[in-house]
Parts: sequence; C-alpha cells; structure tokens
Amino acid sequence: MNPAFEEERALMLQLQEADFVVVELTLYTDTHPDDQDALDQWREAIKRASKIRHQYESRYGPLSLASIPTEQAIEAGWRWNQTPWPWQR
Amino acid sequence: MWVYEKKLLYPVKVDTCNPKLARYLMEQYGGADGELAAALRYMNQRYTVPDKVIGVLNDIATEEFSHLEMIATMIYKLTKDATPEQLVEAGLGAHFVNHGHDLFYENAGNVPFTATYIQAKGDPIADLYEDIAAEEKARATYQWIIDVSDDTSLNDSLRFLRERENVHSLRFRESVEILKEERDRKKFF
Repeated sequence: MNPAFEEERALMLQLQEADFVVVELTLYTDTHPDDQDALDQWREAIKRASKIRHQYESRYGPLSLASIPTEQAIEAGWRWNQTPWPWQR
Repeated sequence: MWVYEKKLLYPVKVDTCNPKLARYLMEQYGGADGELAAALRYMNQRYTVPDKVIGVLNDIATEEFSHLEMIATMIYKLTKDATPEQLVEAGLGAHFVNHGHDLFYENAGNVPFTATYIQAKGDPIADLYEDIAAEEKARATYQWIIDVSDDTSLNDSLRFLRERENVHSLRFRESVEILKEERDRKKFF
C-alpha cells in the first residue's frame, strides 16, 4: 500500500478514536451533569480531538466546512467535492 | 442545524462482495428497529420532553444518523460489485428490479420504511420506555446478524454498533430515573 495513503489512514483512525471519546463522554455527562471528574475528562477529550483534527485537516484538508482550508491542503489539490467520500474508503 | 463531516463514526471494512449479508443489514437500515427509525424517533421526541433529557435525545439522535451512514456504507460495499444474478441469488431480485444498485429504506424482507414503526406519545416516560426497548431490539438484531455473518472485518464494525445500543439503552434508563426523581420532588414541595 502507498505509504502516504497509509499515513493518512492512521491519522484518520486517531481522529475517529479521539472524536468517539467526545461522543461517549457527551452522552455520559448528559445524564450525569454533576460528575465533576467526567466533566473534566470531557473538556480534555474535546481539546485532544480538536488538536488531532487540526493536525489532520492542515495536512489533508477540511473534513467539514467549519474549518478553514490551509494553503498546504489547497496547493496539494484539496477540494471539498473530491473523492474518497467516507463510503468509498 | 447539522454540519457534515467527511468521515465515519467508526471504520467500515468488508472482506468480500456478499449481497446476502447486505440484505440482512437492510433490517438495520429501513427496518422497524433500525437506525433510521431510531434517529427519527429521538429527533422528534426532543422538542417536548423536559429540559433535563433534551440533551440525551438530541445527542443520541445525532449518533444514530452516523450509525445509519455506517450501515449504508456496509450495504453499499457488500453489493457494489454484485452481478444481477448474484443479487437474485441473495434474495435481492425484487430490490434490483425496483432500485438497481441503489440503496433503499426497506427491511430485510423488502418492506419499505414506514413512520408507523415509531411513536410519539406525549408522555416522556412512555416515550423513553419505547426508546429503551428500541435500543434492546436493535442490539438483539445486531447479535443475530453477527451470528450469521462470516465477514471478520464487517463483524468488527457490527460489534461496535451492538455495544453502542447497550450504552444508549443505559443512558435512556438513567433519563427515566431523572424524570421520576423530578416528578417525586414536585409531589413533596
């Protein structure tokens, strides 16, 4: 497999993991609003996911239109309407 | 509003073209206890429930849409290279005649999705009990699909989804307790 492709996959997986922690802790804090420890973990999880997202997007382009496309990504040919879409991976 | 993210909640890989397995997965796509039913049910209930449980309905509904996308990805990958003959053999002949290689919101028996699968009772406790049952039924369906699937890569994603149904069921049970507690407090003061 193409090593550049593999690097992208690995970073995507890291982001999926980090984002999932946010999803899980959000649901938990929805029903445990006074659990201070969970709230702290939730804030940390959001910070961590945001950092990895920034790392991914600056290299490979935005995953949503809430992020600004970097010059690096534009120059590398990133366009929103480009494959692969998630079901094509 | 929602913003689309160009990524799946959890990776979806399949080992081989397998239209029969795709047909079973349609139960979770457009079936009574499937992801579409779940997403629409919770999304609709969130407007009128007490404030304390709006978040859990809103956030689980959002997650269900990401599950729907995962199921769609599975069905797409399992059928995209199938010949019409293979689709007929897998019991998807009627589907192919009506929809070609498109996906469609129907169950494993080719019955189209209907809003009668879901309820909105105007009673938060009754609605949440339905939600708990929906999660448990979806969990059971995932288990039955895993039991008949020999696709190792796909089963990994299905186990993730099965586990999510457990977590959602737990959060809905806690939501019931939150509402009961609130109701009892009102009686005393």
